[in-house]
Amino acid sequence: MRRALTALGVLGAAATLLLSACDRGAERSGGSGKSITVVIAEYSKDHTKPFWQGLSEQYTKQGGVKVDLRIIDWNSIDQQVSTMIQASQRPDVLSLNSFSSYAKDQLLYSADDVLSPKTRDDFIEAFARGGEYQGKLYGFPILSSARAFFYNKDLFARAGLAGPPKTWDEFVHAARKIQALGGGVIGYALPLGPEEAQAEWAIWMWNNGGDWKSGDGWAINSDKNVQTLRFLADLANRYGVTQINPGKTNRTDGAFQLFKDGRVGMVMGFSPLAAQLDAEKKVSYGVAAMPTAAGQSVTLGVEDYLMAFKKTGNQDAVKRFLDLYYQPENITRWITAEGFLPVTKSGLQQMSSNAQLKPYLDALPNARLAPTTDPAWDRVKLDVQQNIGLAVQPGGNPKQVLDQLQKNAVVAAGSR
Amino acid sequence: MGRWRALLWLGPSLALIAAVVLYPAVALVRASLSRYSITGVHQGSVGAANYARLLEQEALPTVVANTVLWVAAIVLVTVVVSLGLAQLLNEDFPGRRLVRWALIVPWAASVIMTSKLFVWIYDYYFGILNHALLALRLVTAPVDWLGNDATVMAAMIAVGIFVSLPFTTYVVLAGLSAIPGEVYEAARVDGASAWRTYWSVTVPLLRPALLVAVVLNVIYVFNSFPIVWTLNDRNPGFAHDTMITYMYKIAFKSSLRDVGLAAALGVVNVLVILVAVLLYLRTVSWREAEA
Repeated sequence: MRRALTALGVLGAAATLLLSACDRGAERSGGSGKSITVVIAEYSKDHTKPFWQGLSEQYTKQGGVKVDLRIIDWNSIDQQVSTMIQASQRPDVLSLNSFSSYAKDQLLYSADDVLSPKTRDDFIEAFARGGEYQGKLYGFPILSSARAFFYNKDLFARAGLAGPPKTWDEFVHAARKIQALGGGVIGYALPLGPEEAQAEWAIWMWNNGGDWKSGDGWAINSDKNVQTLRFLADLANRYGVTQINPGKTNRTDGAFQLFKDGRVGMVMGFSPLAAQLDAEKKVSYGVAAMPTAAGQSVTLGVEDYLMAFKKTGNQDAVKRFLDLYYQPENITRWITAEGFLPVTKSGLQQMSSNAQLKPYLDALPNARLAPTTDPAWDRVKLDVQQNIGLAVQPGGNPKQVLDQLQKNAVVAAGSR
Repeated sequence: MGRWRALLWLGPSLALIAAVVLYPAVALVRASLSRYSITGVHQGSVGAANYARLLEQEALPTVVANTVLWVAAIVLVTVVVSLGLAQLLNEDFPGRRLVRWALIVPWAASVIMTSKLFVWIYDYYFGILNHALLALRLVTAPVDWLGNDATVMAAMIAVGIFVSLPFTTYVVLAGLSAIPGEVYEAARVDGASAWRTYWSVTVPLLRPALLVAVVLNVIYVFNSFPIVWTLNDRNPGFAHDTMITYMYKIAFKSSLRDVGLAAALGVVNVLVILVAVLLYLRTVSWREAEA
């Protein structure tokens, strides 16, 4: 027994040695200038990998630097990137839906370091601002999208509704009429489950005149926001015009699925949903502006980012890679293929003639972004995703849920 | 000299153990004593602070209770049903080979695929389960199996049992075929009833097989991630998480996003399963000594 323990101890010590050797090795290998690691989130199986592979080959041909390209699906990218950073094996270039925590940890190059002025000046101003941390651009816009209001034209006709609702009162009226058609038809599909609850919530919040923050501080439990969440809870529990358990319904396999099946009158969608509906040809749908209670209809714009990680000796290689991506023909070719919206002025010009994108491009000027420039947002977003659904369940307490979210946001803002 | 030669032969397996068992274990313990930023940057050592914070988490009691229920219910039902299934498959009947093969299918299929399949089977609007129950008039209105707090755990446990049955049944089947025919003959000569034979001959002789089945199932089921993750992904909060999915949520999906805290729970998980298995083995051998 004792001998076995000694052996175990020796093995443990060996493993520890191995561990520290690995760590040192990782730090040394960073940024040799011979190759760069590029990590890209997978937007679609058909387009993401082919485009970035082609771009990498073009890049290697130009400068001889090899690209270690990794396409990672959205479900596991946070985990994999976190693991890379823990193991001191940072990527050189990374695409993600958040950037400010990385900027705060001083892991990133700013635009001054790795973007040519021409590239920098081509960004649409709102998106460039959406990538700033403490006045400097760290999150380079990679693509954007905007939500829009989808409605089922057949169900609207059957319910005797002339057109899409413009105000919340009209919205409730329309939802009730459609729900009253019976046969399992649903007025509005409300996805407040953990997948993307923050997006659905933000749209309703803004269209009632509320916001995430007031000035520099968080204002999640403002009176306006409490009112909005009560309204959403009422849709489910008082008017009964949503699908069952909206707080426990996700977007992709819940709300969108029901809309694609023709059972739902209205849903908040985006261009990839339109592409699926067009391919399936089962539902005749229209796209309109969000119904609003605040006069001016607001939609959610989503901006994703490219980041360049600081490593000794990689600045030049990274700069050339980014410049290659931001060449108008490259970035526009990819964004068009994926069905998303432009982030550059030249791209906007090229894509404005595309009739299918018109509703989203029209919505873009009134689109607002999530507060991604605040590092606390990365925690607030997860907190909203995990908890806001509880408020719209039977017996849920909207005010209490928002109070707790606010409390946690204040803590997150103060933490390192 | 002889000793060194032994090391030479043991070397490859020792290296393998060091790399795939000890290295991750050491890394896990080290992570549990560290603080990480939300991006994963190591910010230094914090001693046992992560363990103390773990105890402060409001969701912890619920999650622990869920885990106990999850493991106990699945292992218990699986073993009982497997005893019956194995008995059936041990008999000679036409088509036995086919049934034996069919039983392997849920085992061979990826658990994630099985879980996704069950998400659709349970679905409130499209699910076949509600259709069947309505047609049989067992329910008057469809049930939101995965959205209703009262049914989601039972729904997940059912899937857990479904995927655990094949392995357990085959372990019991192996145990059954190892029982020599003479003991049954002796029981028959003594005039024992079928029931009496089962309790006094079959079950005691199955003890080694059952021991293996229970220990391995407790470990598998405790560590099972995909079923709870997939079937529970629509539900907010931690009301239906086990210690394994809770660990993952702490690290990546909750506002905590804390790798150090998750690693602390990871260490606790390993200790819990070790202690549970040791306790079980000890109880069983104690009974054996008494008998």
